[in-house]
Amino acid sequence: MTTTAYAARADTRSDAPLLSVRDLQVTFQRRGEEPFHAVDGVSFDVRPGQTVGLVGESGCGKSVTSLAIMGLLPRRGNRISGTVDFDGTDLLSLSDGQMRDRRGKDIAMVFQDPLSSLNPVVPVGIQVTEVLERHRGMNRKAAMPMAADLLKRVGIPDPDRRIKDYPHQMSGGMRQRALIAIALACAPRLLIADEPTTALDVTIQAQILALLKELVEDTGTALIMITHDLGVVAGLCDEVNVLYGGKIVERGPRHPIFRTPRHPYTNGLLGSIPRLDAAGERLTPIPGSVADNLPWDHACAFAPRCSQPIAVCTQTTPELETTGDRALRCHNPVEDPR
Amino acid sequence: MTTTGPHPTTSAGDEHDVLLTVEGVKVHFPIKQGVIFDKTIGYVYAVDGVDLQIRKGETYGLVGESGCGKSTLGRAILNLEHPTEGRVVFDGVDIASLKGEELRRKRQDLQMVFQDPLSSLDPRQSVESLLVEGMKAHGLAKDAKQARPRLRELLHAVGLPSTALNKYPHEFSGGQRQRIGIARALSVDPKLIVADEPVSALDVSVQAQVINLLGDLQDEFGLTYLVIAHDLAVVRHISDRIGVMYLGSIVEEAAAPDLYAEPLHPYTRALLSAVPIPDPEIEDSREQILLTGDLPSPSNPPTGCRFHTRCPWRQKTRCDDERPQLRVVEIGGIPADHKVACHWAEQIHSGQLQPHEVEAVSVDPTSFAADAGDHGTIIAETPGRATQSGDPGRGL
Amino acid sequence: MSNSDENPKKSLFSRYGDRRKARIDELAAMSAPRTAPAPVPVGAGGPAEDLTVHESGTIEEKPGVSLWQSAWHRLRRNPVFLLGLTITVVFILVAIFAPWIAPKDPLQGYLIDKVRPQSNPIPGPEPGFPLGADHLGRDLMSRLIAGSRQTLIVGVLATLGGFAGGLLLGTLAGAFGGWVDSLVMRAVDVMLSIPSLVLALSIGALAARPSQWTLIIAIAVVQVPIFARLLRGSMLAQRSSDHVLAAQALGIRRSAIVTRHMLPNAMGPVIVQATLALAVSIIDAASLSFIGLGNPDQRIPEWGAMLGQSQRFIYDNPHLAYYPAICIIIVALGFTLMGESLREALDPKTRR
Repeated sequence: MTTTAYAARADTRSDAPLLSVRDLQVTFQRRGEEPFHAVDGVSFDVRPGQTVGLVGESGCGKSVTSLAIMGLLPRRGNRISGTVDFDGTDLLSLSDGQMRDRRGKDIAMVFQDPLSSLNPVVPVGIQVTEVLERHRGMNRKAAMPMAADLLKRVGIPDPDRRIKDYPHQMSGGMRQRALIAIALACAPRLLIADEPTTALDVTIQAQILALLKELVEDTGTALIMITHDLGVVAGLCDEVNVLYGGKIVERGPRHPIFRTPRHPYTNGLLGSIPRLDAAGERLTPIPGSVADNLPWDHACAFAPRCSQPIAVCTQTTPELETTGDRALRCHNPVEDPR
Repeated sequence: MTTTGPHPTTSAGDEHDVLLTVEGVKVHFPIKQGVIFDKTIGYVYAVDGVDLQIRKGETYGLVGESGCGKSTLGRAILNLEHPTEGRVVFDGVDIASLKGEELRRKRQDLQMVFQDPLSSLDPRQSVESLLVEGMKAHGLAKDAKQARPRLRELLHAVGLPSTALNKYPHEFSGGQRQRIGIARALSVDPKLIVADEPVSALDVSVQAQVINLLGDLQDEFGLTYLVIAHDLAVVRHISDRIGVMYLGSIVEEAAAPDLYAEPLHPYTRALLSAVPIPDPEIEDSREQILLTGDLPSPSNPPTGCRFHTRCPWRQKTRCDDERPQLRVVEIGGIPADHKVACHWAEQIHSGQLQPHEVEAVSVDPTSFAADAGDHGTIIAETPGRATQSGDPGRGL
Repeated sequence: MSNSDENPKKSLFSRYGDRRKARIDELAAMSAPRTAPAPVPVGAGGPAEDLTVHESGTIEEKPGVSLWQSAWHRLRRNPVFLLGLTITVVFILVAIFAPWIAPKDPLQGYLIDKVRPQSNPIPGPEPGFPLGADHLGRDLMSRLIAGSRQTLIVGVLATLGGFAGGLLLGTLAGAFGGWVDSLVMRAVDVMLSIPSLVLALSIGALAARPSQWTLIIAIAVVQVPIFARLLRGSMLAQRSSDHVLAAQALGIRRSAIVTRHMLPNAMGPVIVQATLALAVSIIDAASLSFIGLGNPDQRIPEWGAMLGQSQRFIYDNPHLAYYPAICIIIVALGFTLMGESLREALDPKTRR
């Protein structure tokens, strides 16, 4: 792969998807227990330069989806099916070794907890150079200035000094920046950010989101943003996928999906978040919790928590139906949002 | 640390309305080191001089980022963390000075709701014994049988069926557990409930249930709340008054709508502008004040105004060496209960002072005051990322 | 990732069934001939409103399942635990019923006539004596069976002693903290710094006359610091835990916090350690008996002592050493397997 950031930027506008996930299924099979469908037939596309959001609560399968794309799920005890087409190659069919060559180079990932995703006993700078050594065949000496450059680029002050710092000597925000620097080291064409700001304070979150936004604009990297925070999505993503119980229940471009949410779950989420810009009217929570879900087999999993279920909701599984640039999985969509 | 005399309590107006008065509370944790003999080599100034008053029946929101000392302050108010200095007067009694049995009895009036509902419930106790325990300790019930009707009432109040009584905490979902935690706090008929991040461990869709529940219970039982949270939107939603904390002290205090409409402290402005709003149109148009650098270490707080290392409005005079006190500003249209700890609040508000770029100060979290001389905090020479400032305070 | 506490499908189905039952009760007039609770179709064509859950979510009607119950639920299906449990139970049964199980009297030298100190010191197997006899002509099989009882008594009593001592010290240190903690823990550190076998040896040697009891005391004393340290650490973790803080905030008395909240929650790892310690005690007892610090009455069979006595004949008759050694290894393994799987089952992190 000789793709550089600049080459990637050139085809930003092309319509061919860079990543195309089709019918991804991840089933956890534990000894003596019923199989658990963590991801249940998820399909979506990511075009170059696009920022796609996967939104949902804990247990909705958003993180498992990202781990499956990265090939980071242990094969033992899990069944993974479907295709993850990245630039013409099905990532699921690659061997572990081939996948290792791709990870960090073509696809990189930023995790939620920056402290536990950095190696505590290796200086941050070395962790950046390691990626360069591994994928670009550089030696450490040549990689050092480049690592410092990367750290500077993600807004770490005085990078020549901080390159020798250990992770515990950095603050949470700085660690997350370092992690982003590592992810960006080989100018990946796809960056997956799994709750990158959840562990951070709001002011630091704002810094990191601004950084991600800027990097996406500058390098043309495609970004999959995984988050539970609809506010983060509203400011960042071009396209939003709402997940519930392992399935995508609604998809749409950023503005329409927030203006006219059609799935009762999306609508319910928006109604249950206290907003800084709204006076203290009563919130309309979604009743119950994910523990109340029905199995998807012959029903809509959300039906027991839904504000407007009809009889068919407990009899047949709704299909994801696409109209224009939006998609919806619901028997009885919301007509009059909130 | 300038010497702060306790605020004249007269500012409260009618004295009998005040349920809790916090006066000059400080909580300093010693940092100890040594092989055989522990030597104190520094302090973490977690809470460093806080005054506040909570009136009967109101919800006071305490907001701030991690490490600002808001949780420690909450625990210090309950004397779960003994304050190093200061008074916590509740109903005419200084709770900070109580000990042993006296303190234990007083705990009936002040209850706490915890962040993590699972870890704050003893995994080996059934819901029934969790709820009965406090009642027994305060003589409200002799045994579980006698308490049964009240237990049902409690569960009903928090929206749980009475079948929950003989279940164990791990059998519930997160939201249900938090309801149990709230029921436990209610079980002893408290007057004040300190809720430390009551919803931050819950799923978004469940948060609203608990927020509504807290509001309903307040109406039903006439409770007073101190809600501690990092989420400004949550705090704004449930609070009547809000105190914004930064590095161990309150930098601004106002009624919730006022604070939102006219944030006076630069930190409050930055905080408000950083909260993402789930509305793309607002997100696209609003201007953010991006703070540079990190929160300084509470073991080595900056001199003068604690915020001066990150403040886009920092001035050459006063900010670095004079610690601002919480004061009422003289600006038209700003009510008298809107207080701010900033030397330049008036000038910033009028636009006389404009924000400027700030050099990023990165902070080594392992450093503290005692060794700051050798290799303490590092002040970077490289300018950090510039502030994207427009007209802050608006654009939300 | 997955939040469901247990088997998601099954509980869903049964919960669904419960809800349906409630509705059937309501509409008592209707007599729908349905027996098995089926997930779908329910309320086909009927009003869908009563499908929605209560705001707080559903709670099953079933009685609650405590931590130990749910641990047992998982252990029941764990083959490692079952193997350990089987070994342990068989061992205990054999020990209890040894006099009835043993085919011969373990003290009587049946084959003493066949013992020739020079040519045939150890009589080999023959009908009625499947493992042969020892150098005094006593039936080896019966001695092994009878020896299990001594081994069990020594192991259990020594572990119980260590457990009780450790419980006391650990609770003191963990509950009070401060100088009590420092004092207790420094003493424990000193004891831990001496190799356990050497310590047991010295204590055993201190006794004027070695007996089974000095053996038990020696091993118990060695176990005390291990239990104390473990319990203290466990108590400290509990002391700073949220639920203890919650109890404190609730105004619960300190003694009640220690006994109701801290100790029961701190006991998990200690009980696990006890099963592992039992294995160690048995091995230690064998070692001390081997050296000769055990019961001076050599007629009473004990696996360690048997091992010790066999060393004179180890070159020509190694089987004399193998049998008791294998017994010790299997029993120790049984307890260890059980302890390890208990540890796993009780660890809240492995719970889903």
